[in-house]
Amino acid sequence: MPTVFNWQINREMEYPYEAALPERQFSAVFDLNKCIGCQTCTFSCKGGWTSGRGQEYMFWNNVETKPYGFYPMAWDARLLDMLGPQTWDGDTYTGKTIFEAAPPGRAALGFLPDEEDWAYPNIGEDEPNGIVSDGAYLQIPHPVWHFYLPRICNHCQFPACLAACPRKAIYKRPEDGIVLVDQQRCRGYRECMRACPYKKIMYNPVTRVSEKCIGCFPRVENGQQTLCVANCIGRIRMNGWIHTPDTADPENPVDFLVHVRKVALPLYPQFGLQMNIYYIPPVHVPPRYLRQMLGPGVERAIETYRQVHDDPDLLGVLVLSGATDRWINKFLVRDGQAIGFDESGAEIVRVPLKEPAFIRAFHDAERGVFRHNIT
Amino acid sequence: MRTAGSMRIRVVAIAALIALVLTVRGHTLSAQQPQYVVGYSANPVPTDPLSTAWDSVPAIEVPLIPQAGVTPALLTPSIASVTVQAIHDDAHIAFRMVWADPTRDVEAGRPDVFRDAAAIQFPVAAGVPSICMGAAGQISNIWHWKADWQEDIDAGFQDITRLYPHFFKDYYPFVEGEPPYSFPDDFSQPDARAYSPGWAVGNALSQPMREWPIENLIASGFGTLTTHEQAAIEGRGVWENGTWSVVFIRELTPAAADLATFQEAGELATAFAVWNGSNEEVGARKQLSSFVTFGIEAPPVTPDEPVGEAPASRDTTLIVVLALLGAFVVAITLATIVVGRNAPPAPRDGGTGA
Repeated sequence: MPTVFNWQINREMEYPYEAALPERQFSAVFDLNKCIGCQTCTFSCKGGWTSGRGQEYMFWNNVETKPYGFYPMAWDARLLDMLGPQTWDGDTYTGKTIFEAAPPGRAALGFLPDEEDWAYPNIGEDEPNGIVSDGAYLQIPHPVWHFYLPRICNHCQFPACLAACPRKAIYKRPEDGIVLVDQQRCRGYRECMRACPYKKIMYNPVTRVSEKCIGCFPRVENGQQTLCVANCIGRIRMNGWIHTPDTADPENPVDFLVHVRKVALPLYPQFGLQMNIYYIPPVHVPPRYLRQMLGPGVERAIETYRQVHDDPDLLGVLVLSGATDRWINKFLVRDGQAIGFDESGAEIVRVPLKEPAFIRAFHDAERGVFRHNIT
Repeated sequence: MRTAGSMRIRVVAIAALIALVLTVRGHTLSAQQPQYVVGYSANPVPTDPLSTAWDSVPAIEVPLIPQAGVTPALLTPSIASVTVQAIHDDAHIAFRMVWADPTRDVEAGRPDVFRDAAAIQFPVAAGVPSICMGAAGQISNIWHWKADWQEDIDAGFQDITRLYPHFFKDYYPFVEGEPPYSFPDDFSQPDARAYSPGWAVGNALSQPMREWPIENLIASGFGTLTTHEQAAIEGRGVWENGTWSVVFIRELTPAAADLATFQEAGELATAFAVWNGSNEEVGARKQLSSFVTFGIEAPPVTPDEPVGEAPASRDTTLIVVLALLGAFVVAITLATIVVGRNAPPAPRDGGTGA
């Protein structure tokens, strides 16, 4: 079996195919500190792509409440349990990836969710991790916490769905790294559903073949960000092209967040797929929980993120997030403004680092009252 | 992880299995007798899988082995053999496969449910194709019967409303009619059809309207299975008392050059496969046979002449069956070794925390 280098676990690993980097790689960064779980992303995707017969249960984009939300049921907890202890030595993963832990006769360690596992996309919604006891007060991280985890297909560099398909009906586009199921070649075997650790392949009961997030490729081909990114009212999301650490471009907003400031981290990097949606960890959640989910860079990411007020470049990228539906290839921070450029280098968006605000006096002398809201 | 060592064992296992299969086949060839001769019938071939006309057709018991040579593999087989019969009437050839399966799996709509299925593989070009769906340059023609297609034909398309009787959705883009709607009738506009991608692009698996439950396919190796546009395979499958009986019928003359050719007085190296949906068998996870050589009896010159008996002697059949059983045992043993080598270490010594 070929050996490939997975930078997210900082080591080589076995994978059924040779590494074939696309010309550029579809990616996005989701800031979990800003997600309010409104599901606007979910429904922009649903209305756009999965409103057909047989797609009713599908959420190519879903938002689940952690720690007790799952779609499908226990997708991550179950696989983490199957995988056993996942150990890191610094930035190097020393446990097994799902490819290395594959049982006999399978391409990857995984499970096929039961039908009912898909039936409760909102399970655990808004449930905190524990009970608030007497005398509790607000601390960082919070002793009692929850956070929202929005998820789409990760368009992985080493997709388990692609590895598991015996028909090569799943392919990774060389032009943008988007992973697609060929609707003509798929025969509905569901090996991909079993293998994808993120459970982002779904079986259509009417067409009897499998479907998945298409990375909004018709939009991406036209320089637009995806529906879930462009419609996010919390402005937590930003699309971009991601590079490997050695070829990172500091002017590229996603590279800047992932490789330069290292505030955005991969989801369950220990699975070994080198996934391409990155998450800024929520600062109020205990790092002990987040380390399992986002890897060993969690503390450093939180520390950097909390210093954003002294980091105009980082602030600049974050304010560009959700500021345009166009795809931002490069950014620049100058004179208190963050500027985004498209592929041709043309400016497409300009946002102030600090929103202009008029501050009124506390006391309204004319009416003799104090104001509740002064901005 | 599959180490290089265990992969070698797997390759050796496959090679040993193929060698045994070829040995068995060599034995039959050296005897210059096919294992089964498809007799001529003056009456049209029986189309009903339960017709009493099948009672007088000679049968051959074909042992099945689990497909464990490539990933994904079937490591827990559920069906040990299939009984095969065949007959022709000089215009059509009919095969009947009969096998025991206590579960009738005819649904394929739920994400965790798999259908029962059966297939016959014929070589198209001369020579011995791989039992594994042909090889590059050696096309195989495969007839694949599907229990869910059979159910669609017998009881109507298995729409969402049949899978989930209390299902209701009020709106679909470009749909016609009234909720909860009926598929495919209310979704026939091209714009509505675009929301069923498999159907829209013409995937044979996604077509809601079918005349026959058998797909005609060609393949030239693993992962190459492709629907053939021409020549429907007619037939029917019936489950009764824990047994599937499936009939496959096709015209003797192929409709295209890349389909199986049945030459009278000729011989075909044919293989069979069976899937048990309850055992999550789908795709490569199947039970398959090694080659069974079929001869085709020529029709008599004058209709008065008596129809000759099938020349496959009982003794030859017995030897072949015993040899195939031997191959089966060896394959299982080797598969067990592979499983043993690949078994993950049992104890876990901690939680899942990083």
